[in-house]
Amino acid sequence: MSGFANERSMFTYVIGASILFLIGVFGTAYLPFYDDQMQAPNENAELRNYSVDSAEYRGREVYIREGCHVCHTMFVRPVLADSALGPISQPADYYYEAPAMLGSKRTGADLMWVGNRWNADWHREHLINPQKILPGSIMPRYDYLSDQDMEDLIAYLMSLKPSPQTEGRPVN
Amino acid sequence: METQTSSDTYRPTKIFFYSSLVWLVIGMIYGLILAFKFIWPNFLVWGPLQVILQFGRIRPIHTNMLLFGWLTMANIGALFYVIPKLCRNQLSFPKMATFLGYFWNFIIVVGSIALTMGYTTVTEYGEWPLWIDILVVIGVAMLAMICFSTIANRNEKQLYVSLWYFMGSLIWLPGLYIIGNLPYKLLSGVPQFLIFWFYGHNVIGLWFTTVGVGLIYYLLPYLTKNPLYSHRLSLIGFWTIATFYVWNGPHHLQNGPIPLWLMKAGIIPSVLLIIPVWAVLANVFGTMKGKWHAVAHNTPLKFLVTGAIFYLITCLQGPFQSLQGPSSIVKFTDWVPGHAHLPVFGAFSYVAFSVMYYVLPKIVYHNIYSNRLMETHFWLSTIGLLLFTFSTWTAGVFEGFAWIEGAQYGLQFVEMLTAMQPFFWIRTVGGTLMFVAQIFFIINLYKTIQLGKKSQNTNESSA
Repeated sequence: MSGFANERSMFTYVIGASILFLIGVFGTAYLPFYDDQMQAPNENAELRNYSVDSAEYRGREVYIREGCHVCHTMFVRPVLADSALGPISQPADYYYEAPAMLGSKRTGADLMWVGNRWNADWHREHLINPQKILPGSIMPRYDYLSDQDMEDLIAYLMSLKPSPQTEGRPVN
Repeated sequence: METQTSSDTYRPTKIFFYSSLVWLVIGMIYGLILAFKFIWPNFLVWGPLQVILQFGRIRPIHTNMLLFGWLTMANIGALFYVIPKLCRNQLSFPKMATFLGYFWNFIIVVGSIALTMGYTTVTEYGEWPLWIDILVVIGVAMLAMICFSTIANRNEKQLYVSLWYFMGSLIWLPGLYIIGNLPYKLLSGVPQFLIFWFYGHNVIGLWFTTVGVGLIYYLLPYLTKNPLYSHRLSLIGFWTIATFYVWNGPHHLQNGPIPLWLMKAGIIPSVLLIIPVWAVLANVFGTMKGKWHAVAHNTPLKFLVTGAIFYLITCLQGPFQSLQGPSSIVKFTDWVPGHAHLPVFGAFSYVAFSVMYYVLPKIVYHNIYSNRLMETHFWLSTIGLLLFTFSTWTAGVFEGFAWIEGAQYGLQFVEMLTAMQPFFWIRTVGGTLMFVAQIFFIINLYKTIQLGKKSQNTNESSA
């Protein structure tokens, strides 16, 4: 094993590992910003581009603080498992999303277009006691939220609707 | 007494090892609370605990504490022991290494407090707020400086394969941590989510995996008393993992809102990852040749080989579930946590257990207190992990097909969850076994450390 002269220099490994890493970064973390599909917002994105003093914006902050994104995706795919969830997600829908909350685990239902699904009263009852509205649900109770937080959060959830422009988009 | 501890060359390793055990226990308790909340959503909903232990807040605490408190600290402790051994010298900047131990603990404490209070950046495995990320980057820079300086000042010319992996990991970790934790208001949309998963996947693949594989290459020849099987295979393994792994992020958006070229750019390297994995496993099996009987009564070797096999299973399962068809069924289901626990607990925590059982006797100068406790640790961990993974995989497939049949929200979704309760129970039982196993692990190490201290004291008094 002692006959490999090129394995006596750290240089090969440091430079090689750095270059290969940077190529991957360029391909998967940098180039996507310059893809045509990522360049422009659509009407859905405009609907979700909340002004900082709106209830929806504050509601989104509550959504993040309580970790709703841990169990709920916002990510409708062109697959059978998502066929009843509404229009398929497009890159342009997320144009203003920061931080992006597409999610990785669906312990609860997808919320991409949840604003179309229920009304504000349903959300209030459900957030205060999920098991009362949906027996067998394993969602935590959010009865500890302040009235302000609760109403802001509901305003945010109700705002998650497709724009009329999206109506023609295929659902499956 | 004071002068004796400060002249102890293994002090940094000890601080990292002992701290990692504390985070192992606390992190797994958080995990168990999460598992119980799947069965009883109102578990521990009591006064302020309702908020402090709310599912959405503690899930990132569980992952961060175990990834950065337990496994990263165990890895750093191992690096501080193994690198000087392979370089035949002493660790550079020992005082900084000791300081880093306390500093890293501080990061885990404030990170967990921030997450408990609801300050999160949403980046999976990188949820800590920006100011804590800056501390992490400073810590990682210190770590890289200590390790690279030790390697540069080596007395052994040849760089052993473990050192390639360690050098690579120490370049990749700061790189991916900085890119993954850029201020989140700065970026937006799908490209930002791609960066989140660039980070989330690579922190596993280019830090935990590559340090773990380096440690396998270090320990295996010692534990089997066989030379490493193939030098060429280890070369192939290193350069292919360095080439392919970093491209894996986009497969987390399989079937999602990304262009087709990017989906291909993510999936093809995922499948090609079978090459570095198989290179490592072929090397492990080759080195084991003629020594398989030793696995029966050598628990550290048992952990190491089982860890390598779990690594293989993970990396066969991963490419499979990244493909369009399988992904359309199991993505977002409980299959995913099953898959995630396999490398982090099954493969690389097993390597860390093996390292601790091997290294600790050398730094506290006493043999491991009890073989029987080691065996108990192994079997409870393994049975627990298999119950955990098989229950989540099975539940995941059922959930995926239930969604296909329309149980996508509302009452139908909840009916599907109710039907999954038996699997949630098995998962909790498995998790409990995994937790109890670690208690035996820690008792065993504690006893060993105590006996080491006692025998050192008697040596001193007789001298």
